[in-house]
Amino acid sequence: MKNESTIIDVPAESRSAMKGSAPLIGEARDHTTSGSSGYKRGLSIFDFLLRLAAIIAASVAAGTMFTSDETLPFFTQFLQFQAGYDDLPTFQFFVIAMSMISGYLVLSLPFSVVTIVRPLATAPRLLLLVLDTAVMAFNMAAASSAAAIAYLAHNGNQNTNWLPICQQFEDFCQKTSGAVVSSFVSVVFFVILVVLSGVALKRH
Amino acid sequence: MAKESTTIDVGEPSTVTKSASHVEVDEKKKKGFVAAAAGGGYKRGLAIFDFLLRLAAIGITIGASSVMFTAEETLPFFTQFLQFQAGYDDFPTFQFFVISIAIVASYLVLSLPFSIVTIVRPLAVAPRLILLISDTVILTLTTAAAGAAAAIVYLAHNGNSNTNWLPICQQFGDFCQATSTAVVAASISVVFFVLLIVISAIALKRH
Repeated sequence: MKNESTIIDVPAESRSAMKGSAPLIGEARDHTTSGSSGYKRGLSIFDFLLRLAAIIAASVAAGTMFTSDETLPFFTQFLQFQAGYDDLPTFQFFVIAMSMISGYLVLSLPFSVVTIVRPLATAPRLLLLVLDTAVMAFNMAAASSAAAIAYLAHNGNQNTNWLPICQQFEDFCQKTSGAVVSSFVSVVFFVILVVLSGVALKRH
Repeated sequence: MAKESTTIDVGEPSTVTKSASHVEVDEKKKKGFVAAAAGGGYKRGLAIFDFLLRLAAIGITIGASSVMFTAEETLPFFTQFLQFQAGYDDFPTFQFFVISIAIVASYLVLSLPFSIVTIVRPLAVAPRLILLISDTVILTLTTAAAGAAAAIVYLAHNGNSNTNWLPICQQFGDFCQATSTAVVAASISVVFFVLLIVISAIALKRH
């Protein structure tokens, strides 16, 4: 274990030279990450457009259900001659829920714009993903419960003696069914939004 | 431009440079492994929590489906308007509930291997992304089943005076209790799925 000695020449201006050459490392880093920010920006733009479409779907659902009143011109013995969304608590929940979801989507638009401007930031995307997941579950709950009631209104239930009301209230049934379909479309948009945020969060 | 000279003592002779470089490489590997473990440490913890949540969700969904499946009641007397038997197959919505929650339970069992892969390889992206996408789809199915069944259970409890739909729970108390329990269990599994999706998203996040 002989000890060997080496003489190394350390230049005096090494510090200032290293300072001058440091920015090169920073430039190289920017160059390697610009590739991923390109497609992430594309995903963010698609996310923004999907949000606009989901706003339309959710507000159409809420509006159609809200204005689904129907008054029959005659009077029957067992059924009311008026039908509206407020006759069924499930439909009331549907209108309130879809309005809240439209409001949430409008409020989430700025966050989506932030993800377009800063494609590599993870905090806005993660926030949007978490909120979108919760709101999607809420949307699906409203849509499915209204669908169950709409199914009952169309078909009734023999075992429990629940009569179908659609035979009398055709317009009401048509509008409520249209509102339910529109809210299912909004759910599909939310699923795509959640998956988009997940893919855009992916590290390279 | 004064040059400074420094004398550095090289400990090992040049004949053992191979072993010296090997030690350096091992240290680099160790540093790299430590860095990976530090980045993968909390991700591994998230993956373990994900696995445990899946086990809990399997138990709850199997419970919900079986409780709804066995929710029958036969009344000892005969009434004029209502059947004296009530079962899940009297309601198409409850049939949908049983089938879809059973599908959700089997999906959870099939997703356990993917969850184990994310525990073993915490930094791999593909298994987590697959789990995130499929969990989202299954979340919509679970919520649909739970929401529709909840609407029918609400009607069975309260009825609707405007449409002349009578509440059946006053006669079929046990049936109503069992179906309500199944709906509550399915709603709890919805919460678990939301947590699973959020865990996958956090673990996917780049540093």
